[in-house]
Amino acid sequence: MANLIFYLMAALAVVAALGVVAARNPIMSILALLGSFFALAAIYLVSGFQTLAALQILVYAGAILVLFLFVIMLLNLANETKLERIDLAMFHGRKAVWTFLIAGALLGISAFAALAIVPAAGDAPALPERGIDELQPLADAMFSRYLLPFELVSVLLLATAVAVLVLAKRNRGPLNLDQGGEST
Amino acid sequence: MNVLFGSPALHALVLGVGIVSALLGVTSYFIWFERKFAGRMQSRIGPKHVGPYGLLQPIADAFKLLIKADITPDTADRALFNLAPLLAVCVALLSLAVLPLASGLVIADLDVGVLFFLAAGALTVVPTWMAGWGSNNKYALLGGMRAIAQSVAYGVPLVLAALVPVILSGSMKLSDIVAAQAGGHWFALWPPGPGLGAGVLFVLASLAEGNRIPFDIPEAESELVSGISTEYTGMKFGMFYLGEYVHSLVVAALFVTLFLGGYDGPGPDVLALQLLWFVLKVSLVSVLLLWVRWSYVRLRSDQLMTLCWKYLLPSGLLLVAASAVWVWWTEQGGSR
Repeated sequence: MANLIFYLMAALAVVAALGVVAARNPIMSILALLGSFFALAAIYLVSGFQTLAALQILVYAGAILVLFLFVIMLLNLANETKLERIDLAMFHGRKAVWTFLIAGALLGISAFAALAIVPAAGDAPALPERGIDELQPLADAMFSRYLLPFELVSVLLLATAVAVLVLAKRNRGPLNLDQGGEST
Repeated sequence: MNVLFGSPALHALVLGVGIVSALLGVTSYFIWFERKFAGRMQSRIGPKHVGPYGLLQPIADAFKLLIKADITPDTADRALFNLAPLLAVCVALLSLAVLPLASGLVIADLDVGVLFFLAAGALTVVPTWMAGWGSNNKYALLGGMRAIAQSVAYGVPLVLAALVPVILSGSMKLSDIVAAQAGGHWFALWPPGPGLGAGVLFVLASLAEGNRIPFDIPEAESELVSGISTEYTGMKFGMFYLGEYVHSLVVAALFVTLFLGGYDGPGPDVLALQLLWFVLKVSLVSVLLLWVRWSYVRLRSDQLMTLCWKYLLPSGLLLVAASAVWVWWTEQGGSR
């Protein structure tokens, strides 16, 4: 029974995730995203992680999704919906090399930190006996043993936010007078 | 887990069906009560023609809604448009799953009960937005966008307010939170300050999340016709209202559980008496909410945002800090 639900939800999550990318209408894309969030939460529940499932719904379906909706519906993004083709120039030249280097370094550091912190099997029980479902062991694990990977992941998120900001700004240009003041 | 009927699945089924049907019945008479109450506040009599004191009015209303024409606009997104009212009721009912009505009388006493109802509350914006977008009507869309802005803002103080009882009781399990308040140590009364402040914050943020007056900006019938429900007819229109009323009853029940000791009250710990105390408290809080609803006018969008970000959010942070200090202080005192 649990297996059946797992496979069903896993398939749903993949289909919904494909829908997010494939949907032509951004609103449909967001709906697919919602479906994928719920499928993931169901998988957590089937695996016995109540806390994770509740957080998944609260943070992703509650906050992140609403933020996406906010951006799509309240900011004027009508001209950004079309991406005709992938520009190969993005993958050439010195800038591209730097991009790959920096991204690779960040990922490498995170992976290294995560691996270095986790002790070898048998060294010590990495996880509390009753799993990480209860809040106290979860907090203990997150803020003591896995503090460094935890903080590094948040630095990675910050880097992503900065990158998005830079990309969005560059795309718009400092003063966009050509479009008759519709730069906002 | 503590189950009343054999297996957990049967327990959940029996209690779930029982509680939901009871609540739907209560809700229709709550609406009758509100109409009488609002009538009295405005020097009117309220419904009086159908049955004695208009007592059969809810049944007549439900029947009227059911036999009305069901219209879906041609340009609407059919799937979203038809799904939204259904989801509005379902999402409002979700929080009931973790609500302890009496000792042991709870559908699923999750370890993360508080987190669960916060998650369920955060979902209320989804059907609202579906209706706003799916209707393909400018007023509905404006209502939907307002709902989203409101939900982004008010989710934060709601979480902070719910965090205070969690800190004070040291648990996210609602039955533990009630147990921590046993014997009249209700969080709204003791410790003085954080509990009561968080209670007020919780009610305000919940009302904003459920789009109730004075925070019914997504509906705003004086500006947006009827906001998100502009294009809806018949029972689908009724379901939005049903969802809204269920939500306000659930908010009252959660307020009682988190801040007023839940089913705790004088007398022996008998199931019936506990249930009675719970129902009494929820009724009292509901009347208080109605009082607020019919006394204040709707806030403007900018006033709503000012209230949230400049007043509710800082006071929420302050209350969380204060309750943490209180817990630390009592623990220090206990160890000496």
